Amino acid sequence: MKKFFVTVLVMIVSFSCIFAAGTKEATTEVGGGSPLSDVRVRQAIAYAIDMQAIVDSLMNGKAVTANSLSPNGGLKVANLNDYAYNPNKAKQLLKEAGWDANYTLDVVYYYGDQMTVDMMTAIQSYLANVGMKSTFRKLEGDLASQLWVPPVDPVKGPSAVTWDMAYAAIGALSMNEFYDRFLTGGGSNSHTPSDPVYDSLIKGTHVVDPEAQKAAFFEVQKYENDQLPAIPLYYQQVFVAQSTHLDRAGAGYGNEQFNYDWNIINWTVPADANGKKVLKTNGGPVQFVETPFLNPGLFMSQKVLFDHLVVADTNLAPLKGELAEDYTVSADGKTITFILRDDIYWHDGTKLTAEDVKWTYEFASKVPAVNSVFSSMLKKLEGYDAYVAGSADQISGIVIDGNVVKFKYAEADPNALLCFTQFPPLPKKYFSNVDPMQFQQASYWQNPVGSGPFKVKEIRMNNYATFVPFEKYYKGIAKLDEIQMYPSGESDPNLVKNAAAGQLDYAYTKSVEDVLALESMPNIVVTPVDIRYTRLFFVNKFPKP
Amino acid sequence: MFAYTIRRFLTLIPMILIMTFLIFLGMDLTPGDAVSFMASPEAMANMSQAQLAQLRESLGLNDPFFMRYLTWLGGVLHGDFGYSLTSGVPIKDIVLSRIPATLELSVAALLISTFLGTILGLVSAVRKGRPVDHILTITGMIGVSIPEFFLGLVALLLFAINLNWFPIGGRLRPEYTVYWDHMKNLILPALVLGVTMTAGVMRYTRSSMLDTINKDYIKTARSKGLPEWRINLVHGFRVALTPVVVLIGFRLPILIGGSVVIEQIFQWPGVGNEFLGAVRSQNYPLVMMIALFSVFAVLIASFIIDLLTAALDPRVQLD
Repeated sequence: MKKFFVTVLVMIVSFSCIFAAGTKEATTEVGGGSPLSDVRVRQAIAYAIDMQAIVDSLMNGKAVTANSLSPNGGLKVANLNDYAYNPNKAKQLLKEAGWDANYTLDVVYYYGDQMTVDMMTAIQSYLANVGMKSTFRKLEGDLASQLWVPPVDPVKGPSAVTWDMAYAAIGALSMNEFYDRFLTGGGSNSHTPSDPVYDSLIKGTHVVDPEAQKAAFFEVQKYENDQLPAIPLYYQQVFVAQSTHLDRAGAGYGNEQFNYDWNIINWTVPADANGKKVLKTNGGPVQFVETPFLNPGLFMSQKVLFDHLVVADTNLAPLKGELAEDYTVSADGKTITFILRDDIYWHDGTKLTAEDVKWTYEFASKVPAVNSVFSSMLKKLEGYDAYVAGSADQISGIVIDGNVVKFKYAEADPNALLCFTQFPPLPKKYFSNVDPMQFQQASYWQNPVGSGPFKVKEIRMNNYATFVPFEKYYKGIAKLDEIQMYPSGESDPNLVKNAAAGQLDYAYTKSVEDVLALESMPNIVVTPVDIRYTRLFFVNKFPKP
Repeated sequence: MFAYTIRRFLTLIPMILIMTFLIFLGMDLTPGDAVSFMASPEAMANMSQAQLAQLRESLGLNDPFFMRYLTWLGGVLHGDFGYSLTSGVPIKDIVLSRIPATLELSVAALLISTFLGTILGLVSAVRKGRPVDHILTITGMIGVSIPEFFLGLVALLLFAINLNWFPIGGRLRPEYTVYWDHMKNLILPALVLGVTMTAGVMRYTRSSMLDTINKDYIKTARSKGLPEWRINLVHGFRVALTPVVVLIGFRLPILIGGSVVIEQIFQWPGVGNEFLGAVRSQNYPLVMMIALFSVFAVLIASFIIDLLTAALDPRVQLD
């Protein structure tokens, strides 16, 4: 019934949009600022949208409605307001806020898929039902300059962007990523004026002690749930598709977009006609192997090529040493000491040294396209500023002595260990003439030499890539004889047909359409996994210029 | 003939300059730039404006339009085709690595469509009004109307997935050891591309042939008592081929530019696939180079077609 209702809504709004084209946009503001600066208006929007119906119908139940930016799990407080669909409550809140029915909300999005368009249409209809006019438009081109430019004055504005609400996603490595972007003066905070209470609560999560951090997140979530600085819509899941004959040796399922302890050296598949156990997957390079500094585990090639100082569990919590046989964190969290194993090698057979580790993190400090959690960690190192400014030839906060590497921070970073589970050391010798600005363009990424369980056998760009077990791998030689990857980007348009043709043993996807097709195949098993990926409306609370 | 050849080559220069300028302008007018596509909008939310500006500066994207165009043009004139903005690989290497795949597909499809199209068009014309003509006419109309992507997907589903006669896609596989191994990967995309082009050639050949067999010299040949097959094939078909050759000749350079749709469906790593990726990621040096290559191929093809037309039709003089 809900499916029918949403479909009808989509149709009605599609037609009404055609006829309503040309409606003038009113500029009336509520309370002298942005019309969305009134919390009652934001709450009304949350009540006005029946996300459960949208998830059930448009997404075939392949998502989870959200009541917070934080995903469900142990780091989320209980009993948050779900803002369950309640149009009457929405109308009442709008009335109390003095909402100007002539104002037309400018809502933007940047995804081009049909489901997004359908969802935007449905939401437009829900808003219209409670008396809110809205226009929805897709952004093209330089999205960062249209979405994330903060105002000069982070307290009063005016806004440096033109939209009222932006449909977007936060795909986070650390929990802090969900909230740090709302801090006053944040580099991409184009939407939320300075809020001392929120600032204080968010900064409270920047602690090293896990229990204290958990409690701080609970407080942030309560405030967020009440004030709705952004409107969470749904949690996107990742779906692992694997063939029925793949044996993962009991390895758990985690966030496949990152690195975790997945025990791939013990994975097996039946031998083929040539007696070889070959795993077929996607995520092979199209033009180059992507560096692990921005998206550290997005592609299969990155996952099997590189090992990390520390390995994470399926929830991305640091679990135990990997390249480091041991590590310690000081009581104040400002010093982390790693003792590297003696038996770790690069795929070319040379030793992986403490010098490689130090060089990697120094080099990363000058690379522009680096994951924000990683760059935030690097910036807190002692001597970072002097090194980046060029007044020092090394980061004084990274000290090596034999096989010991010590990271000393000016300020403790709760995500430091997490970073060491994701951003791997690289072999210094292959980057001697590489400009950090042109890091991805280095020839190394055409045929990388890593430290992980599999090494490159052959890469034919945009045709295939093959990987074979690394014979000097310190955890033992992998049971698979070969991994064959066909090339694909982040979203793989050939996933379904390769699976149908029996050419796929392992892959993951976030596409609902792909999942529905994969689930119908007898040779494929699909496993949903909750990840830190929240779809939301950013709400621009700054006044327009 | 020699003077004509020189003249044609000289006219190519301004045409290529104009074309490259227009393509460069088109790229410049497209919203965004290469940096906009290097990271997802979510990742960009975590990068400062200063970081993004740094990236743009390092790639030379902050220079004014004319400076960027002249820099690119100057490089090309000196034999420096530049580097891919996204991978850093020399563009010459990228294009050269893609051309074999595209040539294989294009030539195979062109041979299929030319052979089938001309034979069926000829049969349809000489059997005008008979059942075979009606069947071929209807088939041709359907062939012209069916989009490439639809035929490609149906062929994949039927022949690769259900019947398992052909590989699902791609060109090279790790297990291939000799060149001919990958021919089985070529058959399906070449057939689909060839068949979609056959209908056009067939209709063109039929019309041209019908036009030709009503000419006076055909009637003269018939009155001389020549056998019908000789009239049709030697006197009629040869002249009727002239416009068909023009059609086919212009298809080759377009195909060399890459069949974007077929290459996408069959994961065929040709120029078209690369071009699509380059346009999407605003990788302008690569887009320019592939475009330049295609423009050059079209212009050269038009020149060769002129020569062929003269050879096929004695009435045409190249002076």
